[in-house]
Amino acid sequence: MDTTMHLELKNIKHYYDTKSVLSIDLLQIEKGKIYSLVGPNGCGKTTLLHIMGVILAPTGGELFFEGKKIEHSGSRLIAARRRVTVVPQSPYMFDTTVRANVEYGLKARGIAKKERENRVDEVLNLLKLTAFAKRRARNLSGGETQLIALARGIILEPAILLLDEITANLDARHVDTIETIIRDINRRRGTTIIMTTHKLSQAYTLADQVFSLFNGRIVESGMYNLFKGAFRFTNQEPLFDTGKIAIHIAQRHEDDKAGHISIKPEDIIVSKEQLHSSARNLFSGTIVTIIQQGEAVHLEVDAQEHFRVQITPSSFHEMGLTLGTRVFLIFKASSVHVL
Amino acid sequence: MDYLIQGFVKALALIFSFDPEIYGVVARSLLFAFASTLLATVVGVPAGFLIASKKFRGKSIIITLLNTSLALPTVVIGLLGYAFLSHRAPLGFLDLLFTPTAVIAGEFILSLPVITILTITAVHAVDTRAYITAQTLGAGRRMQAWTIFSEARFAVLAAVVAGFGRAVSEVGAAMMLGGNIRHYTRTMATSIALEVSKGEFSYGLALGFFLMFVALSINILVHYFQIKGK
Repeated sequence: MDTTMHLELKNIKHYYDTKSVLSIDLLQIEKGKIYSLVGPNGCGKTTLLHIMGVILAPTGGELFFEGKKIEHSGSRLIAARRRVTVVPQSPYMFDTTVRANVEYGLKARGIAKKERENRVDEVLNLLKLTAFAKRRARNLSGGETQLIALARGIILEPAILLLDEITANLDARHVDTIETIIRDINRRRGTTIIMTTHKLSQAYTLADQVFSLFNGRIVESGMYNLFKGAFRFTNQEPLFDTGKIAIHIAQRHEDDKAGHISIKPEDIIVSKEQLHSSARNLFSGTIVTIIQQGEAVHLEVDAQEHFRVQITPSSFHEMGLTLGTRVFLIFKASSVHVL
Repeated sequence: MDYLIQGFVKALALIFSFDPEIYGVVARSLLFAFASTLLATVVGVPAGFLIASKKFRGKSIIITLLNTSLALPTVVIGLLGYAFLSHRAPLGFLDLLFTPTAVIAGEFILSLPVITILTITAVHAVDTRAYITAQTLGAGRRMQAWTIFSEARFAVLAAVVAGFGRAVSEVGAAMMLGGNIRHYTRTMATSIALEVSKGEFSYGLALGFFLMFVALSINILVHYFQIKGK
């Protein structure tokens, strides 16, 4: 057990009936950092978040909070839950007013009425929701409901805030508001934030570290360009058909068998001209996202499928790449990892 | 048809004459039903909540028995009550037979399963996300339970109103345990049975209107709570 870690998961396994949905040997979360958890639907993200939020007891394994093991029984369980708050993707609003919903967790902690009122006013003001205070929480739109759920979580000032796809299905204005708040509470309060997202650009712009989850396992960071499809043969050449593009692969697989592949972003060469090379895969597309992070520039290229590519800042500047630039992506068949 | 129309006119006349006999019966019926429903609520709602929210052996058997008791004829409850309360019966020493207490006890037994089983259904109908939300917001066990109860409150109110409906309209238990004694244990339902058997059709019809009015009010209330709960 590492006592410097805010949260630590060891040998966590979880089953629904007999189906394994989660198997994590070790996951360590440092205090005050923002983490993103990415992965396809059904890979176990929400289950993992519920285990970290102490609202789901794992079938096996141990969970440590600030070095102390969390037991799923007794008063220590409630105490642990009061340090970690989950904001779910489709939040449940209690059948009462917005104010009462936001106030709920403070009441659970026995906070005095006057202080409760002040804190609710403060958080509603922060989220520009003051006008909603007296409205029935169930009569709000999806975006407003998500903001109220966030308000209900952050008002508790938890040590760890777990956000499950909270910007999914929201319009750009609400996404901007939520992203600003996430950064703000992390910076001002030092809250550790773990968020699941489907949006890689959001994961990289907000998070200090990105984890990938696939089939219930944490996989090496860099497992991007994750595609779902079926294996095919054309002229005896093994291909992987995503439904939009056909990618050459090195290994032969049973025809028509469904599966997943991934390609490391750093294994993809970016060129502004069409190169003739021994690499079997060549696709053209346009740059739709540019994220500079430390010593790397991450590009998202729309080439019928969205590819993530990583280049150095000097290459990025020398090539004069901008949003909308047309580029060619080149990678070897052997760079494609069949999962 | 004339017979029916005459009865209807006479019934209206009786209602608007504010006949103390009729209004006395109505008031007594409502009082008995209110008292028995109150008792059945005090027992049935917490019992229903516990049965719905706990896992234990025999739970499905209890639910099956409660469902079965919904279909129990009221006269059977009256008969069983009589068997226990008559002078030579085990509880005869209490001297409760043909008293308002006996009528209330009979109506309590009839409305208890209605309230309990509908409370179980109400709690089961609460979205499972309500539990998870209460937990992640740090609620203790008591607050979690109160939250779930609060979320089910309209359906539970509908259960109580349905229990009242069962109590106010029953005739078998009130007749057998209360004895249909004038100014003492006579209720709307027992009075209708008596008056019609005497050939006093209009009197029975007037009481029938009151009973229908009560039943309609109850149904409107149940519907209102069901709509509120959605």
